[in-house]
Amino acid sequence: MESASVAESDGITVEKPQLKSNAISYLSNIVIGVASTAPGYSLAATLGFIAAVVGLGYQSPAVMIVAFVPMICIAAAYNHMNRADPDCGTTFAWVTKSMGPWMGWQGGWAIVVADVLVMPSLAQVAGIYTFSLFGNNSPSNAEVAIVGIIWIILMTAICYIGIELNARTQQVLLALELFILALFSVVALIKVYTGHPAHSVHPAFSWFNPLDISSVSAFNNGILLAIFVYWGWDSGVSVNEETENASSAPGRAAIVSTIVLVLVYVFVTAATQAFGGLQSLVAHPDDVFAPLSHSVLGSPLDKLLIIAVLSSASASTQTTILPTARTTLSMGRAGAIPKEFGSIHPRFLSPGFSTIWMGIVSTIVYILLTATSNNLIGDAFTSLALTIAFYYGITGYASVVYYRKHIFESVRNFFMLGVVPLFGGVFLTAVLVYAVHFYSAPHSGYAKPFLGIGSPIAIALLTVVLGIVGMIIQRLWMPDFFKQKAGVVDPAILAGTKVATASYASEDTL
Amino acid sequence: MSSGILIGYDGSECAKRALEVGVDVAKVYGEKVIIAFGYELNPVAGEMADYAKALRELAESRLGEGKELASGSGLEIEAVIIEEAPARGLVQIAEERDMRVIVVGTRGESPFRGALIGSTAHKLIHLSERPVLVVPLAD
Repeated sequence: MESASVAESDGITVEKPQLKSNAISYLSNIVIGVASTAPGYSLAATLGFIAAVVGLGYQSPAVMIVAFVPMICIAAAYNHMNRADPDCGTTFAWVTKSMGPWMGWQGGWAIVVADVLVMPSLAQVAGIYTFSLFGNNSPSNAEVAIVGIIWIILMTAICYIGIELNARTQQVLLALELFILALFSVVALIKVYTGHPAHSVHPAFSWFNPLDISSVSAFNNGILLAIFVYWGWDSGVSVNEETENASSAPGRAAIVSTIVLVLVYVFVTAATQAFGGLQSLVAHPDDVFAPLSHSVLGSPLDKLLIIAVLSSASASTQTTILPTARTTLSMGRAGAIPKEFGSIHPRFLSPGFSTIWMGIVSTIVYILLTATSNNLIGDAFTSLALTIAFYYGITGYASVVYYRKHIFESVRNFFMLGVVPLFGGVFLTAVLVYAVHFYSAPHSGYAKPFLGIGSPIAIALLTVVLGIVGMIIQRLWMPDFFKQKAGVVDPAILAGTKVATASYASEDTL
Repeated sequence: MSSGILIGYDGSECAKRALEVGVDVAKVYGEKVIIAFGYELNPVAGEMADYAKALRELAESRLGEGKELASGSGLEIEAVIIEEAPARGLVQIAEERDMRVIVVGTRGESPFRGALIGSTAHKLIHLSERPVLVVPLAD
């Protein structure tokens, strides 16, 4: 067996695992991007809420297509930032580099907030589908909450011990998930055209045409929710496995992941609403597939879809806990938050402290939300979308700012480094601003208003205030991190005369 | 002819015990000692770079301690970090360098617990085509 590279310094030799070919690494990055997005779970958790947007009607597939546009622009921004600096993690480190420590801190905080806010929804879906798997389609809220809490604890333990799904297991599970979603959709469509089941509707071209969406608020609220379904593709970007072109392959894989996702989402959304009609989606926002699965696939095949959603939720929970723990590890090591967050468990080698904190905070948030009102979980979901729009948007701007000296060098640069990431950033900012306006209205959320404002915005405001307070405390207590200066891209990287490689993935500088 | 004693070392109590026994074995043969620390980076988790650096630093400090502990033996000691799951990493090093035996510690966990939370010794005896010496903590 030949090792990939051997470096030596301080009397310690470092050996690398065997090199993967570019093609395998490229494919596995796409898989990681798509699997981290967890299409099965994302659809199960979101489709009902999108369908319920007032004035949107049957246009969910069109919304999926439109939401894809800013995502692909932000994917391009990730691609640029990754090429310039594969050594950094993702948003937190990149934004710190290009826009300074204050913005970087907020970017990192937004990632953590988004990850914590999605946990109640993940736990809820896992709880409901666990009961569906065993034939109980109407568990009580308390029952779902207990299973949900067990779910969070179990998943946290898995990540703490470090026995989470590896890339190969993810590939198998994702293949199964996509196969089952395709099977469900194809069978549903065949039944719609041959058997005309109750409430079924034939798909129409207008479902896919964004121009047919009649109201601006429906368009915007739909997009806001649809942004969530694409969330996660960026995981593939931070994988800088050692390949010949480590700095460009992951970025391109992220772009391909979003394309795979848009195809899956449009197809499954259309098939689902064609089969069950709009009412079925709106009536079961927490679990759109559970009621339809039986009539589409029959028994016992219907359980397949339940299993696919559960496995997707499991993958998604893990790819929520792990990146959060690694983001706080990154921030802890950078001195942006207390350094304990940067510690590694001596036996399990996981970011132990960060992982436990993620589990504890998620459990508390879930209990608080579910004990107050189930509707709050839906509202947390909406404010989660605001947070995602914020940090994806900021990454778009960070890329433009980082490459600002090169935008006007050529037409290609103007579009690729300027227009595309900027458009992504501006689009998401517009969605954010509009959503803040819309959801500020007292009765815009599912739950009761809080201090006279809609609860989705109340939740978002609370997280922003916590973030600013946390940042100020940190600034007073450990000011070093905040003294960094923002920088720009190394022109040699852009010119292609130099390829940036992650220091841990190249010859080692110990 | 195989030569050299490879010791898995992560700084835990049982790894220290394995180091003692491994060094004793090396003295009998009069051969060199390699102490190795393996870790795997799961790519399915975002934010690789800082995590990788943190693991590297941990590995360096542990191996530094290990070298220090074994330094009194008068043997040639080499420290190796391998970015691979510990059991697979040890097998890879042993094959590449044609080591005589791999020595690892065990916490004396039940097979079930070992399988659940991952025991390097358990995995190693299944993977390795070379002799493996498993050193229990309570001895």
